[in-house]
Amino acid sequence: MSSNLLNVFKRLNITAATQIRLCSSVSNVVPDNREISVTKKEWKFPPQYTKPREVWIENLDTIEEKKLGLFELHPLVYATVPRIDLIHRNVEWQKKYRWVSWAHTKTRAEVRGGGRKPWPQKGLGRARHGSIRSPLWRGGGIVHGPRSGKTHFFMLPFDMRIHGLTSTLSAKFAQDDLHVVKDLELPTEEPAYIIDLIESRNWGPSVLLVDDTDYAPRNITVATDNLPHVNIMPVYGLNVYSMLKHDTLILTHSAAQKIEERLLIHLHSSITEQQMKFKLSQV
Amino acid sequence: MELLKTAILKTLWRPTVNIVRTTYHADKSRLIRRYGYEEKIWNGGLMPRGEGKRLPIPEYRPANPWTERKALFGQNDYIDILGPGNLHPVKTLYSVPSWIRGVTGSEYHILLRKRKMWARTGTPLVRPTKWKEYEKRLAFLYRKLNRKTKTGRSST
Repeated sequence: MSSNLLNVFKRLNITAATQIRLCSSVSNVVPDNREISVTKKEWKFPPQYTKPREVWIENLDTIEEKKLGLFELHPLVYATVPRIDLIHRNVEWQKKYRWVSWAHTKTRAEVRGGGRKPWPQKGLGRARHGSIRSPLWRGGGIVHGPRSGKTHFFMLPFDMRIHGLTSTLSAKFAQDDLHVVKDLELPTEEPAYIIDLIESRNWGPSVLLVDDTDYAPRNITVATDNLPHVNIMPVYGLNVYSMLKHDTLILTHSAAQKIEERLLIHLHSSITEQQMKFKLSQV
Repeated sequence: MELLKTAILKTLWRPTVNIVRTTYHADKSRLIRRYGYEEKIWNGGLMPRGEGKRLPIPEYRPANPWTERKALFGQNDYIDILGPGNLHPVKTLYSVPSWIRGVTGSEYHILLRKRKMWARTGTPLVRPTKWKEYEKRLAFLYRKLNRKTKTGRSST
């Protein structure tokens, strides 16, 4: 009986998924321009309750924008509810987990000197003192001062970090600050070219370029070398803080797919191991 | 008799007398008191800072928010999610010394770990005074924590 029910449910699920799939406008797009490529995506984890989001694939080899194709993004990664509280906690975590305060004060034992009794205990009419480095003295030790190496380390739970990434990506996407480009190939290595390109497309002023590979093409690295607000990052370097610090996030086609794939894997698998309490011995 | 005469004369004849001034107040040379003394307190009214030296206000030097360190802050913090999965973000905290990377605890815990990790290095021989201070502080904290303070929460 129960297995029958389960089967029914599974079928229902599948039909629902396919219906949503049909609703997505990929099949309805009639490309005016022959060059636009519309690829149908094979979902590993098909979107169940919301439609996939569509995004233009743009180019970087001309200053004016050309649309090279249409591409679908998974709604669980790029169109979730942007939880601002989670984004905030992620940024706080990023700031704190690397923060070590090196402020340091010396105690009366560590300040140099002060071994001798400054004057006799009795008979002078003066206050009794045993050391010139007592905390009462000028130049003496500090009581309860900051001691070097104060850490603020903690690990934010794994699921919160995943949802921090999806929330930030979704917020960026909803605000039209996330663009997908085909690749990072530029025709020249002139910084003026990339400045003009950013200006004409209303990107920026600060732009974060994310690529799938460790090595970006030569032209773009040379062009952005002297532009401190245009930065290139690999996919594994992407983080909430940088996404918020830069106004516009530019993903290459492959980077967008890679991010989606990595996040979907974690969203659809058991993360009990990663959720365990952080131990120093694990790293 | 004489006295009476003059008395009568005085009551009857009273000439008007004008005092002739030879020196005037404005012409008098006055004594200068506290010669050479300059009044240092401003008594000319409002805004005492209008003249002379201005208050020291530091020159405004805006920090560059796009230095390389700030522009790439937080890179690789999600490497365990977005990367291949075999690297923990704590491993990538290169700006933090290795003996304190990912450590939490009180001064005693951190100092214990520091001593443990530095004992195998040249520190005890190269910096004997520093080393002695670590040990001294550890001994002090050990006595304080174990003999003079209670552990855990209070029963109330």
